[in-house]
Amino acid sequence: MSQRVFITGFGIITSIGKNTAENVQSLLHRRCGFGELNVLDTIHGKTLPACEIKLFNAELCALAGVAEGKGYTRTALLGLIALQEAIQSASLSPAEVQQAGLLSSTTTGGIREFERHFYELMDPTQAGDFVQYTDTANPGEHGERLADAVGIKKYIATLSTACSSSANSIMQGAQLIKHGKLERAICGGTEALSRFTINGFNSLMIVDPQHCRPFDNTRKGLNLGEGAAFVVLEGEDALAKSKKQPLAELKGYGNANDAFHQTASSPEGTGAFNAMRLALDMGGIAPADVDYINAHGTATENNDLSEGFGIQKLFGDTVPLFSSTKPYTGHTLAAAGSIEAVYCLLGLQHRVVWPNLNFNEQMPELSVSPVRELKQNVTLKQMLSNSFGFGGNTSSLLIAAV
Amino acid sequence: MTGNMQYYIQGIGMISPQKTFDNQLFLDEISTYDQNVLTSVVPDFKAYINPIQLRRLSRMLRIGLASATICLRDAGIDKPDGIITATGYGFLDETEKFLREMLELKEKQLTPTHFMQGTYNALAGLEAVTIKCMGYNNTYVSKGFAFENALQDAMMHIAENETAHFLVGSYDEAASVQFIASIREHHYKTEKISNLDLFNTPTLGTIQGEGSAFFDLTGVQTDNTWCVLKDSRMVYRPETTDELAVELRQFLKENDLTLEDVDVWINGITGDATRDARLKELETRELKALPQVRYKHLSGDYCTATSFALWLGASMLKKQHIPDIVKVNGFEMPKEIRTVLSVNHYMDRNYSFQLLHRAV
Amino acid sequence: MSQTIEELQLELRQELVKQLNLEDMIPADFNENTPLFGEGLGLDSIDSLELVVLLDRNYGIKLKDPKEGRHVFQSIRTMAEYIQKNRVQA
Repeated sequence: MSQRVFITGFGIITSIGKNTAENVQSLLHRRCGFGELNVLDTIHGKTLPACEIKLFNAELCALAGVAEGKGYTRTALLGLIALQEAIQSASLSPAEVQQAGLLSSTTTGGIREFERHFYELMDPTQAGDFVQYTDTANPGEHGERLADAVGIKKYIATLSTACSSSANSIMQGAQLIKHGKLERAICGGTEALSRFTINGFNSLMIVDPQHCRPFDNTRKGLNLGEGAAFVVLEGEDALAKSKKQPLAELKGYGNANDAFHQTASSPEGTGAFNAMRLALDMGGIAPADVDYINAHGTATENNDLSEGFGIQKLFGDTVPLFSSTKPYTGHTLAAAGSIEAVYCLLGLQHRVVWPNLNFNEQMPELSVSPVRELKQNVTLKQMLSNSFGFGGNTSSLLIAAV
Repeated sequence: MTGNMQYYIQGIGMISPQKTFDNQLFLDEISTYDQNVLTSVVPDFKAYINPIQLRRLSRMLRIGLASATICLRDAGIDKPDGIITATGYGFLDETEKFLREMLELKEKQLTPTHFMQGTYNALAGLEAVTIKCMGYNNTYVSKGFAFENALQDAMMHIAENETAHFLVGSYDEAASVQFIASIREHHYKTEKISNLDLFNTPTLGTIQGEGSAFFDLTGVQTDNTWCVLKDSRMVYRPETTDELAVELRQFLKENDLTLEDVDVWINGITGDATRDARLKELETRELKALPQVRYKHLSGDYCTATSFALWLGASMLKKQHIPDIVKVNGFEMPKEIRTVLSVNHYMDRNYSFQLLHRAV
Repeated sequence: MSQTIEELQLELRQELVKQLNLEDMIPADFNENTPLFGEGLGLDSIDSLELVVLLDRNYGIKLKDPKEGRHVFQSIRTMAEYIQKNRVQA
């Protein structure tokens, strides 16, 4: 029943690039998306900078090749742009797309449009352009819209496990392939900045008005970001038929729950440890054989401490190179897992380890520190990508070179 | 899922607009509603949730947590191997509260409680913390497919380890935001009806329902088993009734069954004259001769209503009884109920079939 | 307007009960020195964030760092003392 699952393509849009090539250039040249907000209208635009994609929805519609006024939310548009690039990158035929599964994820779906038109929408006597956003206060709407836009019918699912969402959608796509339910699955997540999210995280007092500093002793919280990424997964049976060369193998994955607190990770990093250990066990990989970890590394006091302990506990004296790429993109919430999986794949392709920007001062609680400068000519065989979220959700993906 | 694998429903917790939280009862008392909005008949939460937790929980989180607790107690399980939840609109009342405060206070001086409790995975996370379940944890939010996705996820895990127990739950609330916003789309009827008249109305729209149902699924049968969940299948946006009929026949065939083997089918029609058309045509073409039960006059319609159908089917199989309130006239009900088929749709977009057997 | 510390403590107690849904939770021997967190009333980190907003909304006091709250929110008495020292008078 069980078969190996490979990655054959991906697509991405973030505040540091509207496609793969632009993301690579920004990563190589330490260009970040952090800055004042001028697309989203919020009172926090100057006081709580974030990693915003500097394109208005009309421009995103043009990029995605859809008409304006058809009810595409920003979350759906970002998703569609990344999804189209992923399909193209894996050279999927229309028939293959139709028979694929789409597993998307988001934390708030179209809340950005819903909050903007809230009073109009709550008054059924009013009419206007805003009615295109009538059903956007739910996360599943974007998933069906993406499926409809590219013609996927076979299987659709939208997941929402806070900041670990798209890692779980990748995992679930792989499960469906392993169990013979699907030959291929396109998996990822998409997230637009919204006032709802910015104010929500601000009310939790975990947003840093300065540029975030993962694993640094002076870290004060996260920066939010927006973006989307999708990866194409194909089973070995499908590849045997098509003779396509995969980019990498999804060798393992782990999903666990920290079961500690609604919005905080356990101080010992139990959930993080369990998720990574499960991923390694599935892949039959010893901790010492992991070459790189793309850490969740949000730069909140709690996450980095918990994740750091989890890593030290699992790897002991052989902690691999690790970095958080969140200073580049901000925390893109549901999209973070797939964006960072793509960054692992790009690291593999370019033989580099992306730096953990803004790290200056060692955390006294930890004995390890992240990679500060771009490392080139690195042979990466096995990489972990961590994604953790509220509700205790912890997930880890094991991506291996082929 | 196909093959020889069997999935057993070992426990159920169900809170709905009917008094379903007590597993000893089976639609013995019926609640009626006349405003097109059906809200849950709830137990005394103190019997299921500790007071420190109860203090801050929203209504829907209380409902969800209580139904999860009822399910685990029914199954006799302290800690399942994983928790999977499903919802269409999540905790929309909480989202609305945070949103209104944010707009009214112009993004200043906001407290986090409503924001946190509006998160879609809040229930799965809270349940994990409550019972210290550090295993698999996931949440599906795929509107009319969320519950079906969750079932499939659990079934694959059980196929990998048949002794594992998975707690699979749904929750959706009759939120006023959804009701008001969807007036434009005629999701709900504009004329007020009594819920029990739902299937006699010739108009567009349905009635708004809600509920939270939890199921303990495992791969090994015990004396407590409610029934066998044999298989589940989704069909997204069928273009023709033909397509739906082909899917249904294939679904049965993959499970070595024909329509003649089905003793009762559970019809998920919603009372919406237009959106029910395809299911009615499927009924006329394929299912006409089979004894039929309906439920959305009792539950209302919501994204994860398939979970109500699953509770209804499991209850009929376990209790070998069909309450009059769900029976459709003109059929002789079977003496022994062995096989139950559920056919549901959400907004004429998300169709799904589930197949249940009597545990023998 | 001058409010005695006793009046302020009574006001805080009522506000706490209201904001944090403590109706059924206040023990009989609860007084201004009962610890709000841990062994006392059992409040948690989210309550602490609610209290930060309460200080801001009702008394015009802004805590920048949630860690400051740990000292301020030890008991009704420590809260009242902090408010008297720092409140912004209308």
